[in-house]
Amino acid sequence: MNRLAKKIVPHIILTVFSLIILMPLVWIVRVSLTDKLTAYKIPPEIGTLGLNNYVDIFERFPFVTWFANSFIIAIVSTAIALPLATAMAYSFARLNTGGALLRLGVLASQMLPPIILVLPLFGVFLFVGLTQSRVSLIVAHLSISLPFLSWMLVSFFEGDMARLEEAARVDGASRWQAFLLVAVPVAAPGILAAGLLGFILSWNEFLFVLVLSGPGTQTLPVGLASLETHAGVEIAPLAAATVVSLLPVFALLPFLRKHLIKGLSLGALK
Amino acid sequence: MNQSKTMEAADRRFGWFMSAPSLALLLAVILFPVFWALFTSVHDYTLIAPNFDTFTGAENYISAIQDPAFRHSLGLTAFFVAAVVLFEFLLGFIVALMLNSVERFKPIYYGILLCPLLMNPVIVGLIWRMFLHPSLGIVNYLLTVVGFEPVNWLGSTQMAIWTIIMVDIWHQVSFMIVLLLAGLSAMPKEPYEAARVDGARVYQSFFYITLPLMMPVIIVTLLIRMIFAVKTYDLIYIMTRGGPGVATDLVSYSIYRTAFVSLNVGEASAMSAILLGFILLLTVYLYRYMRSLT
Amino acid sequence: MLKQSLLSLALATGLSTAAHAESVNILMEGVPDTEYVKTLLPEFTKETGIEVNLEVVNYAEMHTKLVPQLLASKGSYSAIVVDFYWVGEFTKAGWLAPLDDMIKADNFDTSVYVPKMMDLVGQVDGVTYMLPFYNYAMGLLYRTDLLEDEANKAAYLEATGMELAPPKTWGEYLEQVKFFTKDGMHGVVNQGLRPDPIAMEWSNYLFANGGEFHDADWNATLNTPAGVAALEQYKTNVNEYGPLGSASFSFDEAFNVMAQGQAYSYITYNFFRTAIDDPSQSTVAGKVEIMPVPGQEPGVGASLNGAWGWAIPKSSPNPEAAWTFLKWVESKKIAKERAMQGGSPTRIDVFDDADLNAKFDYMGAMKDMLLTSHNFPVFTYTPQLVEVLGRELSLAVADEATPADALAAVEAEMNELAKKDGKQK
Repeated sequence: MNRLAKKIVPHIILTVFSLIILMPLVWIVRVSLTDKLTAYKIPPEIGTLGLNNYVDIFERFPFVTWFANSFIIAIVSTAIALPLATAMAYSFARLNTGGALLRLGVLASQMLPPIILVLPLFGVFLFVGLTQSRVSLIVAHLSISLPFLSWMLVSFFEGDMARLEEAARVDGASRWQAFLLVAVPVAAPGILAAGLLGFILSWNEFLFVLVLSGPGTQTLPVGLASLETHAGVEIAPLAAATVVSLLPVFALLPFLRKHLIKGLSLGALK
Repeated sequence: MNQSKTMEAADRRFGWFMSAPSLALLLAVILFPVFWALFTSVHDYTLIAPNFDTFTGAENYISAIQDPAFRHSLGLTAFFVAAVVLFEFLLGFIVALMLNSVERFKPIYYGILLCPLLMNPVIVGLIWRMFLHPSLGIVNYLLTVVGFEPVNWLGSTQMAIWTIIMVDIWHQVSFMIVLLLAGLSAMPKEPYEAARVDGARVYQSFFYITLPLMMPVIIVTLLIRMIFAVKTYDLIYIMTRGGPGVATDLVSYSIYRTAFVSLNVGEASAMSAILLGFILLLTVYLYRYMRSLT
Repeated sequence: MLKQSLLSLALATGLSTAAHAESVNILMEGVPDTEYVKTLLPEFTKETGIEVNLEVVNYAEMHTKLVPQLLASKGSYSAIVVDFYWVGEFTKAGWLAPLDDMIKADNFDTSVYVPKMMDLVGQVDGVTYMLPFYNYAMGLLYRTDLLEDEANKAAYLEATGMELAPPKTWGEYLEQVKFFTKDGMHGVVNQGLRPDPIAMEWSNYLFANGGEFHDADWNATLNTPAGVAALEQYKTNVNEYGPLGSASFSFDEAFNVMAQGQAYSYITYNFFRTAIDDPSQSTVAGKVEIMPVPGQEPGVGASLNGAWGWAIPKSSPNPEAAWTFLKWVESKKIAKERAMQGGSPTRIDVFDDADLNAKFDYMGAMKDMLLTSHNFPVFTYTPQLVEVLGRELSLAVADEATPADALAAVEAEMNELAKKDGKQK
């Protein structure tokens, strides 16, 4: 009985929680299949359902461009940030590089509201002739994700792991080998989560993209925000675009399935 | 003796080598803007006259601190940050513990809870404004169906900040879950096995093993979430513009207005620097606390 | 030295990544008129060989996007659109290029514009910086079907002793608001969100009570009988005759209440007149008409004026091509085509166009509205005035300040801003 409860209770809690998260999303899907008039009808009516809004976002708006830019910028900036942040976090945690002051300094830049940083940042990119380019957006996003990812990863490199590495070093492993073959695998769940965090930070970033992007380099957040117009919110196409923009989650699912489980087992190796 | 010294030097070099690429990038991109902001905060720099001709010393700082609206928004932000970080942490930790204990359906739960995180705050705000429309929104409709009075979600000075907090929890709680779950996954298994052999109860192994071992991850998670919560701006901008009255006037939105509506970048920079001071102090405190644990 | 190098590094020097000679980049906001311009662009490219890249951003975020561009010596945008809010700021900062030479060289006639439009988004102190693009003057949307209903007519006559008809005066309108608040119907829906929705809407109330923002010397005249009455009426309308929550409504929420048939009237931007006839948004298509906000006397309009103008920033990489575009898009032919699609004109000759009037019978009302409208104070700190006004009005509606105290606070800050700007001696 007790064992059964132990097995079922987590699923009950998780199901309830998932439903709370999911219900608004279901309503977004519903809005995406109808028009503004029906969307605001109370009591709700089914109305005529259709895929018009999905056609709309591709025909009336450069949705593909927005999506591609968001995806490319998020993937590239994460792909660069992750190894860099991992290395920096490792040096902070294991070798105390630069001491507490450097560690705080790295994060301090992120404690200023971005609205204050955006003017000089624009100046920097203007100076090197990179405004409106994807490169500038990737670099700007790196400046946000590097501090956070490295802080996060520091906590994964601390603790017992040092002993494991010592053992490996005694067995003749080099610094590099200890890092790559002992530390990184043990911290893998953290690195995976950091990757996810980096992707999300870039994917949702609004202000820097708003100021630094050009017509061809707008991303989803800036593009979709333009559906809030001076003549009202185009809520139905917006809902459709939101649904489509959640696709990366489903693209990630197989990857997650493999790595969520694998991350667990790697942790269990210790 | 000598050997250990060269070892130490080699360690140090290795450390700098590992962090150099990140540091170089941050120096190149973000150091100048930070320096610029601090430099601007002691000058009379406005968008109408964007120059550093007039050094004003602490004037911007003084006028910011003397401004009751700024103090109000600082206090409100402290409340907001405490509320969202606390609720999201408690909820997120429970869900993370549950997720860590299941195998079946795990990717499905995980996939669902990632969805809000992939929505930009602007979209979240617009969508929720629609759901929370007092007379045409689905939320009030459902409430009246089960017999409640319709709620004035964003139009009441008492309710509005809680509405923002609730929407923020829906949007950001998964952030906590992702990080905490990663911490739980990376935990060593032996202590639990030893505890089980010793006959420890579930709550005992939670309080004596999980919690202490998770502390570094927990603190960093709280810290990062806190920094983001302080910077909450888009949600306010879309949902209430700080109103009704000044009920949801968070500090980041107030700084935005000072810079881009009042055009006073100097004072906005001073306000940002004050904010930076507060967060930095809190970070140092948390960091010390974290060190003291290990 | 440090100061100079900082400044130059930050903003002054710059390499332009923009535009070849044969393309113009234009930053615009999402409004119906932008969509209409988009449909006409191929014609322009065919005529001139110049490509046009329209970049559309959220209207509310546009200022943030523009400022860094305008601070730079060479920006990315050939032409921009400017809300009347920013006219004072942009011209004071010297960010807009005067158009007078080009206007003269090409004999472009600016006298075709509604004079109030030129005051608002055309000329500043005698220099032309902008061409008026479209207007968003506010009008009174009201339900014709409710006015024509016989039962309503009889009941209204009995209650007030007046005929039920489109209100000729502000007092009559307030009576109707009260009258129609019954049986789940609201007499009015307001847009009480701070800062601009509430500030803009309330301005109509101010003018309708015979008030103005300031006297000839820019002394604020808000804490006056007219101002206080306007705020009392506004408060009553929101809290007693409007739907729950309208204190936090932006125009989108308010419009939806109107479009779902739950309110008799709504004072709002005139382009919602086109939207209310769109069956994908509205259950009351064909049952709503627009008129100038009524004033104290019949025939006196109390509408608030509003508009966006085309401008060429000094940082424009190719001002000549930008001007070619401006004079094309503001030509009678193109301005008319835009209006025929449902746009909001600024040219008198477009308002008077026979085809247009045949298509939209409310064009006459729109023109009246503009001719009898009032302008919001345009000076360097207009956005800040809107901000302060919005905050204080919102506090008053929420019962956290009395109308007189709220208006006194606005007055004090407005006087300070006017002094700072040199408007008030």
